[in-house]
Amino acid sequence: MSAPRRGRLPAGTVPLPASSIAVMFACVALALGTHVGSVPAWVLVAALAAGGIRLALAWRGRRPPPLVVRLGLAAAAVTLLYVQFRTFNGLAAGTALLAMMAGLKLLETCTPRDLYVTTLLVYFLVLSSLLMTDSFWLLTYALSVCWATTAALLRLTTTPPLPAWRSSVLYTGKILLQALPLAAAFWLLFPRFSSPLWHLPSDAQAAQTGLSDTMDPGDITHLALSDDIAFRVKFSGPVPPSAERYWRGPVLHTFDGRTWTRGHTGLLRAPPWTPSGPAYTYTVSLEPHEHNWVFLLDWPAHWDLPQGALTADFTLIQPDPVSRPLDVAATSYPHVDFTAAPGLIMRRRDLQLPEGRNPRTVALAQKLRADHPDAAGYVQAVLDLFAREPFYYTLTPAPLGTNSVDSFLFDTRRGFCGHYASAFATLMRAAGIPARVVTGYQGGTLNPYANYWIVRQSQAHAWDEIWIDGSGWIRVDPTAAISPSRVDPEVAAAAAGDESLAPGWREPPHWLVSLGMRVDAIREIWRERILLFDQSSQMSLLEALHIPEPDGEKLVLVLTAALLPVLVWLTWSVRREVSLERGDALLRAYTRLCRKLARAGLARRAYEGAEDFAARAARERPELANQVEPLCRQYSELRYEARAGAPPAAQVRQFAAAVRKFRPQR
Amino acid sequence: MADSNPDRPPQDWIRGWSARRHGQDTLPHTISRRRIYILPTRVGLMLAAVLVAMLVASLNYNSNLGLALAFLMIGVALVIMHHCNRNMLSLKIDAVTQGDAFAGQPATLVFGLRNDSVVDRRDIEIHCLGASAPAIVPARSSASLEVRVAAAARGVVHARQIELRTRYPFGWFHAWSYVHAPLTVFVAPAPRGERTLPWTEGEGSGSRTESRGDEDFAGLRAYEPGIPLKHMAWKALARGGEPAVRSYTGLSAQPEWLDFDALEGGDTETRLSQLCLWVLEGDASGRVYGLRTPGREVAPGRGPAHRTECLRALAAFEAGAS
Repeated sequence: MSAPRRGRLPAGTVPLPASSIAVMFACVALALGTHVGSVPAWVLVAALAAGGIRLALAWRGRRPPPLVVRLGLAAAAVTLLYVQFRTFNGLAAGTALLAMMAGLKLLETCTPRDLYVTTLLVYFLVLSSLLMTDSFWLLTYALSVCWATTAALLRLTTTPPLPAWRSSVLYTGKILLQALPLAAAFWLLFPRFSSPLWHLPSDAQAAQTGLSDTMDPGDITHLALSDDIAFRVKFSGPVPPSAERYWRGPVLHTFDGRTWTRGHTGLLRAPPWTPSGPAYTYTVSLEPHEHNWVFLLDWPAHWDLPQGALTADFTLIQPDPVSRPLDVAATSYPHVDFTAAPGLIMRRRDLQLPEGRNPRTVALAQKLRADHPDAAGYVQAVLDLFAREPFYYTLTPAPLGTNSVDSFLFDTRRGFCGHYASAFATLMRAAGIPARVVTGYQGGTLNPYANYWIVRQSQAHAWDEIWIDGSGWIRVDPTAAISPSRVDPEVAAAAAGDESLAPGWREPPHWLVSLGMRVDAIREIWRERILLFDQSSQMSLLEALHIPEPDGEKLVLVLTAALLPVLVWLTWSVRREVSLERGDALLRAYTRLCRKLARAGLARRAYEGAEDFAARAARERPELANQVEPLCRQYSELRYEARAGAPPAAQVRQFAAAVRKFRPQR
Repeated sequence: MADSNPDRPPQDWIRGWSARRHGQDTLPHTISRRRIYILPTRVGLMLAAVLVAMLVASLNYNSNLGLALAFLMIGVALVIMHHCNRNMLSLKIDAVTQGDAFAGQPATLVFGLRNDSVVDRRDIEIHCLGASAPAIVPARSSASLEVRVAAAARGVVHARQIELRTRYPFGWFHAWSYVHAPLTVFVAPAPRGERTLPWTEGEGSGSRTESRGDEDFAGLRAYEPGIPLKHMAWKALARGGEPAVRSYTGLSAQPEWLDFDALEGGDTETRLSQLCLWVLEGDASGRVYGLRTPGREVAPGRGPAHRTECLRALAAFEAGAS
C-alpha cells in the first residue's frame, strides 16, 4: 500500500470521526497556549481558526477543504509571516511558522496518519516554547500538554472499545514516570556543548531590564518600584558590611547638562593598582538583563568569565548580552592602592562639563572651592551642604528645567540618587576634581534559609567616584549624606529591607517576608541546579565520582554505565506486570516451594499437579514426605477448594510463611 | 486503530532464521521474550527524527528545560518499546480448530488467546496464510478469534507458522512473534453436480428423510466415534454404564459406497465436486456410507467426524503439500 496522497483518502481508510479531530484540536490549542506572549497573537488566532474550520466541517460530516484552498491559505500565511518577521531564521520566526503549520495541519487532518503528524508538531511546538525560558511553571505546563497529547494519541490509535479517559491518562502517566529515570540519566550525563553548534540569530526584540547605560535623573524611578530580582550573591568567607556592598555597573562619564552617558571607553586603559587588605570572594548569579555588563563589588580582581574583560573604569563586561542566567565567581578588594594617575584623556573626560549649562552650580562650586583649597575638605563641604540644606529624598521629584543641576540644587531640592550623584559630580568637575557617576546596586537582603543575598531592582543606585591625587579613585555616595528624616515615606515600602535606608518604615508582616524568602531559596536551587547546569557542572559531577581528568568521552562512558541499570530496572518493571505470578501470592509461594524442591534435587514435572508431585516426592525422598505432603495439600486446598472469590489472604500468608521456613536438604 | 498502511511484513529471512533457530513448536504455545522481535514503524521513525531535532535544538540553545523535555520524550519512546514488547509477552496461543473449507469459500481458523496477567492486551493481530484478525484480550481472560483464509482452489494448504503482531501502544513500534506450528487447511472441492445419490436410485424409496420413530428402536450397541450425539443413550451413561447408542433398524442398513471410479464422464475436479455434494447429501440422510477414491478408502461410517474425514480425503486427492 502506498502512502496516502494529500486530499485523497487511500482505499480502505476510514476518515477520522469528528470526535478525534476535536481531541486533536484541543491538544494543538493547549500547545499554542505555551506560546502566548512569545508568538504574535494573530498567528495563534489564525492557527486556531484553521483548526476550528476543520472541526466545524467534521461536525457536519464533511471532508477537509480542497487542496487548492489549503495551498492558498498556506501561501497567504507564509507571506504574512514573512512580512512580519522578514526572515524565517531565528527562534521567534521559526516558532511562529511552526504554530501556523500546526493549525494548517489540523485543517487537512483526515486520516490516522495526520494524527501522528499533528502530535509530532505538538511535541516540537511545546519544546520550542521551552528554549528561551527559565520558568518552572511553563515547564510544568509544557509537560502537562505532552502528557495530555500522548494520552489522546493512545486513545486515537487503538481499536475500540476504548478504555476510559481516566485509565488512558493514568497509563500514560505511568509511562512518563517510567521514562523519568532514563530522562534523568540522559539529562545529567549527556554531553553538553560549551558553545552553540551553529550561530544563533539573535532576537532583536529581547527586552532589556535593569539599569541602562545612560542616566537621565528620573530613570531609576521605575526600578525603585520594581521588586524583581537583579541578581543573587553567595559569599564564601566574610560578607562585606553594608557600606561596602556597592555593586558596580556601567560608569558614566559624559554629561550634556541633562543626561549622563558612558562615552567612548574602548581605547583607554585602567590605571594600574595593587590590592591591599582583605578580599571578598563570592559568586554573582545574574538574572538575564540583556546588557553586557556584570555587577561586581569594588574593586574586582579576579573573575571566571572566559570572555569577560574589565573596562578602563572597572566594570566587568562580556561581548554578548546576558540573556540567560549567568553565574560569575569573583574576588574583589575593598581597598586598593592606585600606583599611577589616570591618563590625560581620561582626566580631561572626567572634568568635562557642558559649555554654559548650570551656571549657578558652577558658581557655587568655585565659591566653595575657594574656601576649601584641599580636595578632601571641599568634598566634605559639599556633603555637608546636602546634609544641612533641606534636601529631600523622594521618588516623585518635580520636573527639572534645561539646567537640571541648577534647578535641583537651588529650586526643587527633591530627588533621588540620580539627582544627587549628578549634582555631586557636576560640583566636583566644576571645582577641578575628576568625577564620574557609577550606576549599579547598593545593599542586598540576606536570605537566611539558604545563606545568600538577594539584590533587587529596587536597590538600583547611583553614586560618584572622584579622583584625588595621592588617594586614587574614591567612592562618594552623596545620597547617603541627606538626613534620614528627609526621606519620603513612600520610598519605604518600595525599599523595604534595604539596609542602606533608615529603619522604622512600614514593613510587610514578618511571616510574609519569611515565606517569600523560602520561595526564593527554592527558586535559587532551581536556578543553580537546573537552569545553570552545564558542561562544567558535568565535569565537576565526574570529579565528585573520582574520575580523573573528566572529559566528554568519559561522560559518555558514565552515561552508558548509568543507563544499564536503569534499562534493566525498566525491563524488569515492565515485564513484572505480565509475570503470571503477579498479584497471586499463593502461586508465588507455591513456585517458591517448587524452586526449593528443585534445588534439593526434586523438580516438579510440568504435568504434575500438587498432590501427584507430593506423592512422588514421598516415594523418592521419604525423609521429606512429612513436610512436603502437608504443604502441597494445603496449596491444592487453597487453590481448588470451591468458594466464592480469591483464597483467604490470611491463609495464603500462613502458607507462604510455611514455605519460607521449609528448608529441604539435598 | 492502527496505521492504515501496515509496514512491509517482516522480512522472509527473519522468518526463516527464526524457524531454524527455534525449531518446531507445539500448540498451545506461550510466547517467550526471546521470541519477540521489534522494530520501529514508519511513524516511529518520524518520531525519532522529531526527537533528534528536539535534542539538537535544545543543545544549540543550551536550554536545560528543552533538554529535559527532549530527554523525557526519548525516555517515553524507549518505555513504549518495552510496553509494546510486553503487550505480547506470555500470551498463550492455541489453535482451536483446523480450518476446513470448500473451494471458493473462506476457511475459518479459530485461535484461542489466553492472557493470565493482570494487564489488558490490546490490538493483538494474528496473521496466518495471508489473512489476519485483531483481538483484545483483557486481563486474566481469554479471547478466541477467527482468521478467515480465502481458499481459492481445492487442495491442502499448509501454514508453517502463525504470526502474532502488535503495535499497541501508540503505533510507534511493531512487535511480532512467530509460532512455528504447522496448521493445515483442507480445501474440499466446491459441492457441485447434477446427479443424485447413487443409492436413492437403487432403492427407489424417493425419500432421504428418515422417519425414525420409537418403533424402529432395535436396542443399544456400543458407541463408536462418528455416531451422531443425538443417538447417544444418555440415560444408560448416566446409570454408570459404558457409552452406548440407541440403534434403529432403519439405520443399520448396508453401507453405501461413493466411488470415484464409478463416476463416468467429466474431469477429475468435476467428479470430485460431485462426490463432495454426495458426501454432504449422504451425511444429511443419516445413512452409513463410505468413500473410495483411487489410492484411498474411507471406511463406511456417519456423523460429523466421518463427514470431515471424507471431505479431507477429497481435498487431499492427488494434492501434494502446497
